[in-house]
Amino acid sequence: MTQKVLIFDSGSLISLSINGLLEELKKLKKIFNGEFIITKEVKKEVVDNPIKIKMYELEALKIQNLIDEGCLNMPDKIGITDKEITNLMFKLMNFANTMFIGNRNEIQLIQQGETSCLALSKILNEKKIKNVLVVDERTTRMLVEKPENLKELLEKKMHTNVKLKESNFKEFNGFKIIRSTELIYIAYKKGLINLRGKEVLDALLYALKFKGCAISSEEIEEIKNIK
Amino acid sequence: MKEVDNIIRILGETRKAIETENYSKIKNLSNQTINVASLTQDPDNINVAVVVYSLDKVFEREHYRNYSDWKKISKTILSSLEYSIEDLEKNDLNEFRKDFENIRLCIKKISGKLKEYIQEVFRKAKINKASRIYEHGISMEQTAKLLGITMFELADYAGKTGISDVPESKTLDAKSRIKLAEEIFR
Repeated sequence: MTQKVLIFDSGSLISLSINGLLEELKKLKKIFNGEFIITKEVKKEVVDNPIKIKMYELEALKIQNLIDEGCLNMPDKIGITDKEITNLMFKLMNFANTMFIGNRNEIQLIQQGETSCLALSKILNEKKIKNVLVVDERTTRMLVEKPENLKELLEKKMHTNVKLKESNFKEFNGFKIIRSTELIYIAYKKGLINLRGKEVLDALLYALKFKGCAISSEEIEEIKNIK
Repeated sequence: MKEVDNIIRILGETRKAIETENYSKIKNLSNQTINVASLTQDPDNINVAVVVYSLDKVFEREHYRNYSDWKKISKTILSSLEYSIEDLEKNDLNEFRKDFENIRLCIKKISGKLKEYIQEVFRKAKINKASRIYEHGISMEQTAKLLGITMFELADYAGKTGISDVPESKTLDAKSRIKLAEEIFR
């Protein structure tokens, strides 16, 4: 039985893919005693849709290849059906997209791909299967970890008061999130990166940041200083 | 459409800025549309944000004026803006949408490089506006859907902005997050 799972959101695969770090992902899978899983909603965002667009066809093919090789798997590999995920996904989407109200509008924050990852994580938590989400985009992470920060950000940017439905908070408890940057940090520390030199970690982390991973320069400096 | 009066003002000022060749003003007008677009996610408001931003880029490039189709396209844009204001004043959203569609149709009909350039301006405008909506706190996937772009395009563009460097973005200290990663790999 699967003991642990990493659940990948679209953004993290995109950052790794456009930085040419999918080989490192394969190496990480080899040392990970568990499964790397993507939902069908995420597959749609990183394979099914971009494969039709010439500019991103190659990236989509590379990610499809990871699925074909068994580096990434679909939830049925760990005994979870799409139906289970979809049912919970719509419930969570409704909670998330009615949680923040600005100027009498319920602010539509998140979509199916992101929410399907949360749904899968919640299902695995209920089954006591250890799991961590790999999410590079900012909103989902803020929603889960610090909704009050998200409220502040929405108010600041939209120049309006935002009401927070605190009763929805409990639906987003218990998630653990890392980003592609933490994943590549592990690869670096375990000697899975084929580059040598003291600037390698800095280069890797900033490359991921500049291709969409929501990490601040300050956080990157903190990571570099971890012994 | 939300905040119609504000949109009428923005379109009127955009038309005036084009007529007086005060193009730097158009970018500012486009930015004014994005707060409402992020909050309401109304497709018409988003369309206005994209078109106004594109017009700034199209009109500020002086070499476009050397193309034979330039007069035709600039005339269509100005008249479409004028009609769109009139239609919004009459609260006729269907006609308003047709006015904006006319701009796109006119661009489609022009020939050669100018068509390619302007279409590229409109494509990049979508990505730019998506990045601004993501900056406002809407998720990457939701934003990409609203603008009809791929997440690859948005991630690539948004990563080069300072969006992640605002203090609110930090939701856990670096050490704790690294610990999560180390624990799952143990």
